[in-house]
Amino acid sequence: MPVVSQHARMPSSVCSIDILHFTGVKLKQAKEWEPKLLGFLCRWCSYAGADLAGTSRKKYPASIRVIKVPCSGRVDPLFILKALQMGFDGVLVSGCHPGDCHYQTGNYRARRRIAITKKFLEYAGIEPERIQASWVSASEAVKFTGVVTEVTKGLERVGANKLFVDEGQGDGTATAQ
Amino acid sequence: MEQRLRSEVKALLEQGKIDRVIGFEPGSLKFTTTPLITSDGGDVDRLVINPFIVNNLSTYLTGTSGRVGIVAKGCDSRSIVSLIQDNKVLRENVVIIGIPCSGVIDLTKVERLAGKDRDELDDIVRQGDKITVTVDGKKKEFLASEALFDNCLGCEFPTPREYDILLDEPVTPSPDKAISEQKLDSLREIPPEQRWQFWKEEFSRCIRCYACRNVCPACFCERCFVEESEPQWVLPVPRWQDNLIFQVIRSIHVVGRCTDCGECERACPVNIPLRSLTREMCNLAEELFNYKVGIDKEAPPLFIAYELEEAEDLIR
Repeated sequence: MPVVSQHARMPSSVCSIDILHFTGVKLKQAKEWEPKLLGFLCRWCSYAGADLAGTSRKKYPASIRVIKVPCSGRVDPLFILKALQMGFDGVLVSGCHPGDCHYQTGNYRARRRIAITKKFLEYAGIEPERIQASWVSASEAVKFTGVVTEVTKGLERVGANKLFVDEGQGDGTATAQ
Repeated sequence: MEQRLRSEVKALLEQGKIDRVIGFEPGSLKFTTTPLITSDGGDVDRLVINPFIVNNLSTYLTGTSGRVGIVAKGCDSRSIVSLIQDNKVLRENVVIIGIPCSGVIDLTKVERLAGKDRDELDDIVRQGDKITVTVDGKKKEFLASEALFDNCLGCEFPTPREYDILLDEPVTPSPDKAISEQKLDSLREIPPEQRWQFWKEEFSRCIRCYACRNVCPACFCERCFVEESEPQWVLPVPRWQDNLIFQVIRSIHVVGRCTDCGECERACPVNIPLRSLTREMCNLAEELFNYKVGIDKEAPPLFIAYELEEAEDLIR
C-alpha cells in the first residue's frame, strides 16, 4: 500500500486523515502547489513519444495531463484559452516535426495558429511560459521528458495561474483536476 | 465625386450590370451616414460621399444576393478582397466603386477639439489638411490629423487596390504608425500583469451585445462559437472572464481578415478599445508571416497558407 493516495489531487484533508488513522505514519507535508500542465499530444507522433517514455520507464514530472488529438492542427486557440480559464497553469501543444505530419500539412497550420496565439496572449498579459509548443516524434521519448521537465520548471517560475480568478468569487468554472 | 458616383450607379443599374447597390445616405443624426441598399434607380440620388462615411459596407455583401455594386474606401476594398479569398464572395458578382479616402472624421475628437457636443455644432467641413468647425456662427480651424480616427491616421492603403470604377485620383498614403498605435504602445510599456488587469477592467463593462461581431465583415461564421451549447465554451452571461475569452478568440478568428477599419470599436456601446486588440493582430500577421490583409485576391488566407520554415523560434 502506498502511503500517499493514488489520487494525488484528492483533497488532502480527506485522504491524509484516513491514512494517519490507519497507519499512524506522519505524512510528508504535501507540496503547497505544483503546476498543472495540459498537454495536447498528436496521435501519430507526440502521443506515441509519451507512450515510449512511459514504457521505457523515463522519469518526468507528473504535472502533465494528456489529451490525445488527431493532429496538432486540431488544437483550436479556444482550447488553450479555455484550459487557462479552467485553472491549468500552462498548455503544451505537441505534434510531429515539420514535414512529418500524417496529414501532410496539419502541423504547418498548427504552427501559424500557435505562434499567433502565443504572441497575442502575451500582448494581452498572459505570461508566454503558459503557452508552449513542441515537436516530438514517436521515437523521441527523451525529448518528450525534457520538454515536460522544462515547461514545468517554467511554470514553477511564473507561479499558479490566477488569471481568471475573481477575488473571493473563484472563476466560476470547474477547476482543473 | 458624389455626382460621378450617382451617374455611374444609375448607368450600372440601367444597363443591368448590377442588381442592387450598397452605398451611404445621410443619417438621421447630424454628421452621420447610414447604409443604403437599393435596387431602385430612383433612390440613387440619395447616395452621398462625405467625410462621415465611417461604415465598412462589405459587412452587407455576404447577405446580399445577385450582382452587387458597392461603394468602398481603401479599408473596405481590402475587406472585400479578403472575403473573395475566403470564397464568401465571388469577384464577378461585385462591382467595386472605389473611393480614394483620406480618412473619416471621428466626431468624438471633434467634440473634444471644439469643446461642444455634436448637436451644438453647425457645420464641419473638410478641406485638404484642414477641418473647419462652425460653432455659433464662429469658425474654428483644426488640423485634419487631429480629428481623424486613429486607424485612418495609420492607413497604408487609402486608395482601393481592387476596384472596377475609381471615382477620383489616388490618395498618397502617409501612415503615421506612432500616432495610430498610441494606445497600443502605452499598453506595451506596462508590465503583463497590469495589461491583464487593464483588459479585465475594460471587459467588465462589456454587455455582450455582439455589436462588434455583427458589424465586422470578417466575422462571417453562420454560427459563432459563443452560441454553441455543446460544449458551451462561454456562458451567455456577461462576466468579464467570458467576455474576454469571446473577444480574444474573435480577434484570433479575424486575424488575416481584419483590415483595421475600426468598425468594432465604433460599434461598441461601452467604448472598449477593441482596436487595440485587432490592430495588434494585423501587426502580428505582418511581423510573423509577412502577411498583409486584402492585398492579393488570389493568395490563400493566412491560416491556410504556410511556409516550410517559419516561427520555429516559438516552438521547442
